[in-house]
Amino acid sequence: MWNELLYAFEAVATLPNFLAMFAGIWAGVIIGAIPGMTGTMAVTLALPFTFYLPPVTSILLLVALYKGSTYGGSISAILIKTPGTASAACTVLDGYPLARAGKGGKALNIALVSSCIGDFISNISLFFLAIPLATFALRVGPPEFFMLMAFSLTIVASISGRSLVLGIISACLGLLLATVGEDIYGSYRFALSEDMKSGLGMVPVLIGLFALPELIKMVVFRPEENNDAMKLGDNRLTLAEFRGSIKSIFRGSIIGVILGAIPGIGPSTAAFFSYSEARRTSKNGDKFGEGELEGIAASESANNGSCGATMIPLLALGVPGDVITGVMLGAFMIHGLTPGPLLFQNNLGDVYALFIGILFSSVFLFIAGKATAGAFTKISRIPQTLLLPCILILCVYGIYSIGASPFDVTVLLVMGVVGFAMMLLNIPAAPFLIAFILGPMFEDNMRRSLAISRGDLGVFFQSWISWGFFALTVLFVILTIRREWKKWRNNRNADSASAN
Amino acid sequence: MNQNRDFYAGLVATVFFAVILFVLIPIYVKVPSFIPGFAPPPDMWPRVVAVIGLVMGVLALVLAFPKMREASRNQVEGLGSRVLGNKTHIQRFVGVLIVFAAFVYGMPLIGFVPATVLLLGVLFIMTGNFERKFWMIGLSIIFPVLLYLLFTKVTHTPFPEGKLLSFSLSDLVTL
Repeated sequence: MWNELLYAFEAVATLPNFLAMFAGIWAGVIIGAIPGMTGTMAVTLALPFTFYLPPVTSILLLVALYKGSTYGGSISAILIKTPGTASAACTVLDGYPLARAGKGGKALNIALVSSCIGDFISNISLFFLAIPLATFALRVGPPEFFMLMAFSLTIVASISGRSLVLGIISACLGLLLATVGEDIYGSYRFALSEDMKSGLGMVPVLIGLFALPELIKMVVFRPEENNDAMKLGDNRLTLAEFRGSIKSIFRGSIIGVILGAIPGIGPSTAAFFSYSEARRTSKNGDKFGEGELEGIAASESANNGSCGATMIPLLALGVPGDVITGVMLGAFMIHGLTPGPLLFQNNLGDVYALFIGILFSSVFLFIAGKATAGAFTKISRIPQTLLLPCILILCVYGIYSIGASPFDVTVLLVMGVVGFAMMLLNIPAAPFLIAFILGPMFEDNMRRSLAISRGDLGVFFQSWISWGFFALTVLFVILTIRREWKKWRNNRNADSASAN
Repeated sequence: MNQNRDFYAGLVATVFFAVILFVLIPIYVKVPSFIPGFAPPPDMWPRVVAVIGLVMGVLALVLAFPKMREASRNQVEGLGSRVLGNKTHIQRFVGVLIVFAAFVYGMPLIGFVPATVLLLGVLFIMTGNFERKFWMIGLSIIFPVLLYLLFTKVTHTPFPEGKLLSFSLSDLVTL
């Protein structure tokens, strides 16, 4: 094995491979930072170039693009409240408040460090745990998936802010909007127009909900403070701040690896799950959503942590977990490689070369991220009255380019108005976000499970994985009810004391 | 103010989810006559969510009501009266809606790039801050054109050229 690894190292450590990875990461970071341009787009655009490259170099280029774009999404999420990718949506919650407080650079630094650590742990696990994780992933069927989604949705309680009731209302709105379009059995729901039959795109909805309300607020209320550029304070990440986030980084990385290895989950869910866990366990849990570095660390370590792990089912089983790995499967096949158990028998040298190359990508991500983030931080110096309208135009172009659809642009603008109305009514946007992302997975897996079991609810309790998530969900619901009850009682006591 | 906002949020949610449950689901969620196996029908999940939303809306109303009464006793200004007292804000908000609608309906007629140029220019004007006039004029024209070039060259996106204008930006660029 060690001889083969040595040969693989020699094969990887070449200038063309390093150049491909570096270019891929850099381009990925920039593409991910542009709202509307996604990692899928980056990987798909690069696919034709891989025809002319050797197999390992091709795959390394595509993986580098994927990782770069996943991190790049955090840059726009932090600086302009516009998640470049859906997996960076959670980063907005703490990243933007930090940027507004003049700590944009600090937020970008923790995002970069967390992404690199998550990415490295993910690569290591790809190296050592590909087979056991792939076997575990195979045991996760629709019922287990449903229970996992149910547990993930309980995060609504922790990101509802002041009022749990308003948080649930927001989540219901997200769940409802996620049902628009064709369902898994081909029935149309809420298809008020022909365009709505294909549903509402995730990116226009998310960007509209977060980026546009700031602009509308500025136009409607014209607050004085919005005329100035954001302040640039001390942007270095201190050792104490890093130490304060280290637990969340490692936890997030492990969550990213486990969830990333399960086909169909992807980095967005991993980011929310990790954020939720960090909030539950952190001593600064109450400050999450107001500009807490640990929140960014949890979200970013998980979304980059799942990048390498999504390769696990692809390489070990030949199962692409999402669209990006689907495109990568195409790249493998173009070069005559068939992912799956036979790949490890017939092309072990290529597999090892790929593993080693991917390990290097974490270092490249750090270098490219550091250089690019520094340049992007300058966005903070642009006055808001110039910046916010330009962001809208950038979003309009980015969203249109996804599917060349004017309907997506309409969704973007309508969601901006909805987001502004929610802002006025104090309805938190974060529960909407998580419900909109997780809702379809929750419903599809519930309906699939019930179809498989012919309507028997017992299907949800047939494996230890389902039981584990069910127990966690029940426990968390009980704790939430207890917390809300205590809050209500304290408020009532305070009101009666002030009346006396 | 929060108690008023909670009341209005509850009111809006109650009305919204009631409309979804009693009007939109019966009309716009088609239930097929035959469903394979024992799969739940397509309207099951939207109904569950709408019922939860409706209950939460009513709960928000109920919880906000005592606080509202207390607030009115203390002469706290309600959100409604505050909004009505700020006609300028409403006018500006309506202005935003009109600009967005004009963009959506006008873009297929005048083309994507001219529509974004106009949208950006109007938004700059609507911010009400004219300290950087030259930046605003320059950005309104240059920024959309740069984005057009970026997206057409990199992603080969075919942007609508407009039915009313006979020339297209791509012609100008390639001249």
